[in-house]
Amino acid sequence: MTQIVQPVPPAAQPIRRNLAIEVSNLVRTFKAGQETIRALDGVDLQVESGSIYALLGPNGAGKTTTINILTTLIPPTSGLARVGGFDVVKEAAQLRRIIGATFQETVVDKNLSGRDTLDTHGRLYHLPKSLIKSRIEELTRLVELEDAIDRATKTYSGGMKRRLELARGLLTQPQVLFLDEPTQGLDPQNRDRIWTYIRQLKAEQGLTILLTTHYMEEAEQLADRVGIIDYGRIIKSGTPEELIGALGEDVVTILGSGETGRFLEILRQQAVVDWANEYSPGPLQGEDMLSTPVIPSIQVGLKEQAGKSLRPIVELAEQAGFKIADLSIKRPSLNDVFLKYTGRRLRD
Amino acid sequence: MATTVEKRLETVNNRARTGPGKGRELAGGVYTLWRKHMKKFSRSVMEIGGTLFTPILWMLLFGLSMGGMVKGMTDFTPSVNYIAYITPGLMLLTCLTAAILGGTTLLMERTSGIIKEYLIAPVPRIAVLLGTMSSSMTKALMQAVVIIVLGLLLGSGLNLNPLDFVAGLAILLIYSLGFVGIAAAAASKARGMESYHTLIGVLNLPVLFLSNALYPLEKMPAVLAALAYFNPTTYAVDATRNLFYGAKLEIGLWLDIPVLLAFMVLGVWFGYRTFQKAVADPA
Repeated sequence: MTQIVQPVPPAAQPIRRNLAIEVSNLVRTFKAGQETIRALDGVDLQVESGSIYALLGPNGAGKTTTINILTTLIPPTSGLARVGGFDVVKEAAQLRRIIGATFQETVVDKNLSGRDTLDTHGRLYHLPKSLIKSRIEELTRLVELEDAIDRATKTYSGGMKRRLELARGLLTQPQVLFLDEPTQGLDPQNRDRIWTYIRQLKAEQGLTILLTTHYMEEAEQLADRVGIIDYGRIIKSGTPEELIGALGEDVVTILGSGETGRFLEILRQQAVVDWANEYSPGPLQGEDMLSTPVIPSIQVGLKEQAGKSLRPIVELAEQAGFKIADLSIKRPSLNDVFLKYTGRRLRD
Repeated sequence: MATTVEKRLETVNNRARTGPGKGRELAGGVYTLWRKHMKKFSRSVMEIGGTLFTPILWMLLFGLSMGGMVKGMTDFTPSVNYIAYITPGLMLLTCLTAAILGGTTLLMERTSGIIKEYLIAPVPRIAVLLGTMSSSMTKALMQAVVIIVLGLLLGSGLNLNPLDFVAGLAILLIYSLGFVGIAAAAASKARGMESYHTLIGVLNLPVLFLSNALYPLEKMPAVLAALAYFNPTTYAVDATRNLFYGAKLEIGLWLDIPVLLAFMVLGVWFGYRTFQKAVADPA
């Protein structure tokens, strides 16, 4: 009996209803003179409808490029990306109707009032005038700009402009909202406000949000899932709890000098040690650069609470010829997650 | 929760599939951007002042003094008085300036990032170009009217055939569109305001002086006169001088109109292509 093997027809692109954003193997290159820069080097990403996803990474990691492609601002070099089931290249026209976005730079016309800014935006999306009007009222209240909405935006503070932009992104009731560094450069008060709005939106409207940030706290506070992006690839993703949980119980940070390599090797052989890495301090800025000497640091993730294993670690250091200058223990945070997977510290 | 999300998806997806249709998206986009820029214009006293006063100054300072000088010359006897003679040239210069300013607006919106709001909106990308540029064309035509009125006050007279008048305005528009395209291309390519103005500044002078706008072709050195035939301004001046003021044609409408149409098509095509490329691949 011969079995006839039917060639399996290539399945039509599966559109999973519950996925608002689907990205697979996304590549984007830029030409810089003779060189070709791979800004995105195979990004894979899935965002469920009604959830908040935070792309976390340092400057130049590919966050903005990802957003630019997903909002149809630039085409990908290769790979697939869909938003709301619409392909970013082939169905750009449809896709544009269901998204909203704020960009990394503040882009509001300084000679127009807040109301004109929102009105123009609504008209660009062909919304009926009455709807634009009522949406402007609603959103002005949401972002607390009632007093300023009729003033020219050049009189706005940075935080007010950001809030206006958020209102603009929401005006058309998008299905998916993209926020590129929504709180960059804002004071804590304004940052808090923006966070509150974002949480509110998600709770009330079931909006899907993809945001980029290089603030750990922001990702931890807002996101259902976090993707750590570096060098144009998502190197790790999961819920903040999963990511932090995967680091083990306690993280010990050791500053010092000496036989770093040997010390690491020995550490990694210990049963209680989950992982151990050396990292070079991230680019320091301003004052830090002058006052802090560059000391190699080691981070150790432990499988159990640090109490008992601290003494062995110190002894091991001595054996290995590593001189400990400082030692600290803490519960792991997203910062440590980032450090573990990128080997670099993220500027907060 | 899940059901509201589902419902939301449903309505949103329907909205996304249908949309208002390509034509309406284009027209709506152009109109929205035109309206935005005209609104900004109407609120900027400086810009209104500049728009109205530039042609007034040209007419008064240049027109009157040159007119006085030309009067004494026995071998320069244009078929219309000198004010009428230079008015078309000044109108075209004004249109050129407006096109350049339109390019400046485009460049500013491009470099500041404001253009991104338009580029991700459901409007065709050519609407972004047309919206910005049509507002500067509107300003140009306003200026042209100011010049015509001022010319009348200074005694230029006017050809009272309404068909000729409308045809004259059409020539202004066709001429301007050509430069709008060039300005748009420059604005799409330029790295910043400085390089844009350097590029455009180089254009400005020969466009005016390497033509018959202020003096007849026969009075120019042969080389320059020959070069003037490569300048669309020469044809536009010839046509508008005839249509607005009934002046004797130096070249002839039969050549003016096709040359200007070709210039317009080339300019707009070049501008659109460069713009399209620049926004598709900003790096």
